Amino acid sequence: MKLFSSLREFITALFNARLTRLVLTALPAVLGLLATVYVQNFLQPIPILAFRVDIGMAAFVFGVLLTLFLGAYFFGDESRGWFARGEMEDVRREMQESRRQFIRRLDHEIKNPLTGLQAALVNMSEVSADADRHRAGENARHALDRLKRLLADLRKLAELEARPLERLPVDIPALLEEVAEAIQSLPAAQERKVNLLIARVPWPFPPVTGDRDLLSLVFYNLLENALKFTTRADSVEVRALEDGKAIVIEVADSGAGIPPVELPKIFEELYRGVNARGAEGSGLGLALTRRIVVLHGGAVEVRSRQDDPRGTVFTVRLPVGKK
Amino acid sequence: MKDERSLILLADDDPSIADTLAPFLERAGFHVLTVSDGAAALDKIHSHRPALVILDVLMPRMDGREVLRRIRRENSWLPAILLTQVGESSERALALEEGADDYLNKPFDPHELLARIRAVLRRARPGERSLSTSWTLLSHDLTLDRRARRASLKGETLELTPKALAVLEYLMTHPDECVSRQRLLEAVWGWEYPAGTRTVDTRMAELRRALNDDPEKPRYIETITAEGYRFIAPVKGE
Repeated sequence: MKLFSSLREFITALFNARLTRLVLTALPAVLGLLATVYVQNFLQPIPILAFRVDIGMAAFVFGVLLTLFLGAYFFGDESRGWFARGEMEDVRREMQESRRQFIRRLDHEIKNPLTGLQAALVNMSEVSADADRHRAGENARHALDRLKRLLADLRKLAELEARPLERLPVDIPALLEEVAEAIQSLPAAQERKVNLLIARVPWPFPPVTGDRDLLSLVFYNLLENALKFTTRADSVEVRALEDGKAIVIEVADSGAGIPPVELPKIFEELYRGVNARGAEGSGLGLALTRRIVVLHGGAVEVRSRQDDPRGTVFTVRLPVGKK
Repeated sequence: MKDERSLILLADDDPSIADTLAPFLERAGFHVLTVSDGAAALDKIHSHRPALVILDVLMPRMDGREVLRRIRRENSWLPAILLTQVGESSERALALEEGADDYLNKPFDPHELLARIRAVLRRARPGERSLSTSWTLLSHDLTLDRRARRASLKGETLELTPKALAVLEYLMTHPDECVSRQRLLEAVWGWEYPAGTRTVDTRMAELRRALNDDPEKPRYIETITAEGYRFIAPVKGE
């Protein structure tokens, strides 16, 4: 029994050895070559001449093919690794750069409210009039709210990776109506009208499979941005239609538009464009939006123009639910 | 004269938190004892017999979760509030599993902590297992099996989404308490949503449909205008 197990170990070790694999790989080609030589030189007297040359060639070709096959089988990973090494180096460098950039931006986002908080606390301890103290308190709370919102959004972003997505049928038109109504309580939405256009003919919308709450966050973010970066003179529109494969939702506004150089960056974490400097918000809204849409197997795109007619359109595509 | 104020043990390793929360709770009429690690918390629980303990999860020497496990293993139903640092839903589920009476995510408004302390103390019956640590909750014809994640009405299993079930669970473990939408969001969803209050209402509607509960004449869940919801039926734990 012991002998058997050690023999088996021996065979396993033999097969795992690089040299064995190398020999095994090369063997068919060598054998094929030998067969060719053998057939050509030593079987001369046998009268099936044409045929025997063919046998020799066939043996050779078969041997080479087998060698190639075994080579791919045994050494494929290795060679792939060798070819991909340069590519991996690039990816790593890119990741490092984006991490550094994220930390730079985070530093900036934390610095401002903290400075405000510090100043407010100094004011609070130095001023004596009640009104001034009250103002300082308000300022401190405002700075605190900004930090809390940043932290909450960072947490959402981290948690999207970890938590399992709820996969239930979601009625998109009902969801959009709900979001459009909820947005009315925003200060930016006061005396503003959001046009909601939902294509209902000839059939109702098929449901999207996904997490209703996360999807509501997507449209809330897009709509909030549309209201935040436009004025009362502009219009904001949300429209939805279905094209057989996906539900397409557009959030459009006639606002100032996004500069072309900023367009590829706006979905990055904590990126702030010129328009968004000093604007309320964590700087993570669009990053969250994209992450959620991608988790649902969809895609989000943006088109924007700054010259006349100007405006911005965000397009979200969500695949129609297949159970 | 004997000190009549309830004794609260606050265990947090961050001095900036312990130093500011303690005077706040003292002003609110409690007697507060602070410790900075889990092992010390366990000692003080044995020596001072507090009315309630507030445990931070991440602490040196012994984390808050382990402290809680140990006091529960001693069959003590001392009311406990866990301060979780990570907002992960798995952590919140664990908090319940290990017998916390309530939990609060950092950062929190100290007034919110105060409200929880009062609610937990009000619900607590000395020496009795609390609803938060019971595996089965019963109310009229309604049974909630928390381990199996199943609710049934008159023996029939209810079709509920996981979120609606979690809402029911939170309400049933906090009966007769006005629970704001904000708090449900934090406890069940784990995050605050801008459109969140509406999200809560949607699940509540689902829950009421399943429970066959008329919002006008509720048997289980009452709406308190501009405030939130209240579970009005009596709840028994098993």
